[in-house]
Amino acid sequence: MFYLAEQMPRGDFLGSLEQIVMLAVMRLGTNAYGMTVRREIEERTGREISIGAVYATLERLEAKGYVSSFTGEPTAERGGRAKRHFEIEAAGHQALNASQNALKNMSEGLSRRWKRA
Amino acid sequence: MSPSTLALSQWILARLMPAARAEALIGDLLEERRLRLQAGSHVSVAGWYSRQLASSVPVLLWASMRRGAWLVTVVTAVASFIAAFRIQMVLQSALWPMTTSSFAHDVIMLLSFAAAVAACGYVAASIRLGAARLLAFLVFAAVCAMLAINTRAPLWYEGSLLVLGPLATIAGATLSGWLRRVWL
Repeated sequence: MFYLAEQMPRGDFLGSLEQIVMLAVMRLGTNAYGMTVRREIEERTGREISIGAVYATLERLEAKGYVSSFTGEPTAERGGRAKRHFEIEAAGHQALNASQNALKNMSEGLSRRWKRA
Repeated sequence: MSPSTLALSQWILARLMPAARAEALIGDLLEERRLRLQAGSHVSVAGWYSRQLASSVPVLLWASMRRGAWLVTVVTAVASFIAAFRIQMVLQSALWPMTTSSFAHDVIMLLSFAAAVAACGYVAASIRLGAARLLAFLVFAAVCAMLAINTRAPLWYEGSLLVLGPLATIAGATLSGWLRRVWL
């Protein structure tokens, strides 16, 4: 356990919204941009999320090097504005994996206690 | 939702993010709004749009502050403001002994104030355009406060100070932008 803690640098764990946004980007693949990410999260979690929160989270993830983005072509239905597509980088996959594993390890064997509560 | 309300909301969002990101975000909002209008009523879509805007602005404002854009703008504007008043004091004390006429003293005050504020507006705009705008506002507010405290000055002088302060700042900022365009 101490070995694992030493191996995992601080800051490798993602926040819950960061994980949700990254999973949405992963699910959407080549069609991942602001609006689709927002709708995917809303449909799957049942919670209304603001486009501002999605962009702020993606900006944070991009600054950490977990996500990259590129500008698409402008389209008429967007008032001539271009889309910004997002994709997960290798470091992002690792961080997501580490965070999901940490949660899985922490919750292992606790399902009976949850049911009791 | 009226076109002017939409334009205003887009203007607000564009102030909070870098241009390319703001364009993408506004495009996303417009695209989803269009999709929702095909399925729902104008009232419900306007409600959705307002909720999106209301919940997005604080998050983006915070992200913008974390990015440091606001901090740099505010610090630049305040530093320029302090520098402008220092320069004005130096100019004024250098020119003051040249005459004994009170009218000439008022003119010296006005000219040294305009020159100092214009120079600082120029510097502020070279660092960040928003800082020059904020400086113009600070100068206007400071002049208003000064005139509210000291009402003995003649009306022409008070009016000139009020107009000249922000105008000189904007002139300095415009000169900075123009020179940058010429040189680059």
